[in-house]
Amino acid sequence: MFTQFFGSYLLNNHLVTSEQLAQALELQKKVHVKLGVLAINAGYMTAEQVDKLHKMQMHTDKRMGDLAVEMGYMTPDQVNELLTSQKTGYLLLGQALVESGCMTNGQFAIALDSYKRSAKITEAEFADEKAASVRSVISDFYGFSLAGTKGDLYADYVSLLLKNIIRFIGDDFTLLPSSTVQLHACKQAAIQVIKGSEQIFTAIEASNDAFTAFASRYAQERFTENDEYVKASVGEFLNLHNGLFAVNTSNSLAVELDLEPQDYESDKILNGFKNLFIVPIGFPFGTVNFLLSGELPE
Amino acid sequence: MKALVCDDSILVRKKFKELLTKIGFGTLLEATDGEEAVRIYKAQQPDIVFMDIIMPKKTGLEALKEIRAANPNAKVVMASSVGTQSHLKEAVDFGVYDFLQKPIEDAQVLKIVSNLANGK
Repeated sequence: MFTQFFGSYLLNNHLVTSEQLAQALELQKKVHVKLGVLAINAGYMTAEQVDKLHKMQMHTDKRMGDLAVEMGYMTPDQVNELLTSQKTGYLLLGQALVESGCMTNGQFAIALDSYKRSAKITEAEFADEKAASVRSVISDFYGFSLAGTKGDLYADYVSLLLKNIIRFIGDDFTLLPSSTVQLHACKQAAIQVIKGSEQIFTAIEASNDAFTAFASRYAQERFTENDEYVKASVGEFLNLHNGLFAVNTSNSLAVELDLEPQDYESDKILNGFKNLFIVPIGFPFGTVNFLLSGELPE
Repeated sequence: MKALVCDDSILVRKKFKELLTKIGFGTLLEATDGEEAVRIYKAQQPDIVFMDIIMPKKTGLEALKEIRAANPNAKVVMASSVGTQSHLKEAVDFGVYDFLQKPIEDAQVLKIVSNLANGK
């Protein structure tokens, strides 16, 4: 999830536009992380050194690693270490941003460094899905601590949601800032109420195109029009996620939750909420809003 | 072999139908809620039922109870993402044949069907 927060950091600091980020998220599936980006990330080379080697490569038929050793920037062991290291997602995103001309190597190096300094937890902690710190970062990012007694519930819900999105939809998304509203106009929405000792309103809402693209990802089928299958697919993802949330909650907190059948709405204003959290997630195909309220609408 | 797929999601029914046809089921029946499932079961007596839990009108667990009351040998598989302890316990009490965790994986269904064919 380090990547998703990194994308969000770039957006919030106006280092890229949402269009550039969407393009880079799409492009990152095709790019390979180059040695220069890995070396910057590891602190073995500066962005200036990488740029210099790129220029040298235009005039000589030598590999980046060989040139770096020749110039004394890296040892052969460091080159080997980088070539065999795991290529993490945020480096792919960085590579995509550099390749698409949104950023230079230097700008990427500065952004990555500032991000790592400002991130409250490390990449390794993010990799540990059970780390309480991940939940806490998510809670801070979305301001769930301001939601009073429901804050913990929201943090648990969204932590699991992000994992399920990575698992069933894809990891090419960015977390966008959330908002709290009393009403929300929706184009297309799959809705489900979780009931039991907690009453939770949940929904997935998006434009027609983003709704259809999200459905296609989940069903692993190519839907072209917004039909019954599209609604069923988005509804099924919501049902699956809510089901897993109910199971987790009943196992860990001994709180029994049950689900109502999913419902669908289009071109409707959802209202009557005291506080409806809108959690937007940016995908290459558009933004999908996840709606959440710990109180049912009046 | 005859199967009844009961799920309010058209997508889940479609996925089940595609897989069960591939496996060789000759007749595939569909229901979109628990009430319809009970009605179709009683009329058609399928060899196996794949049943969602969360459905309108009548839940899958209620339908399971009624189907097993009508035929104590009925083979009903609960397919759901909501496998909370109380659901599992209730399903076992009502005589569920097996469980499927959503999203449905082909291998899980194949295993259940081969167990059924082998009389397990």
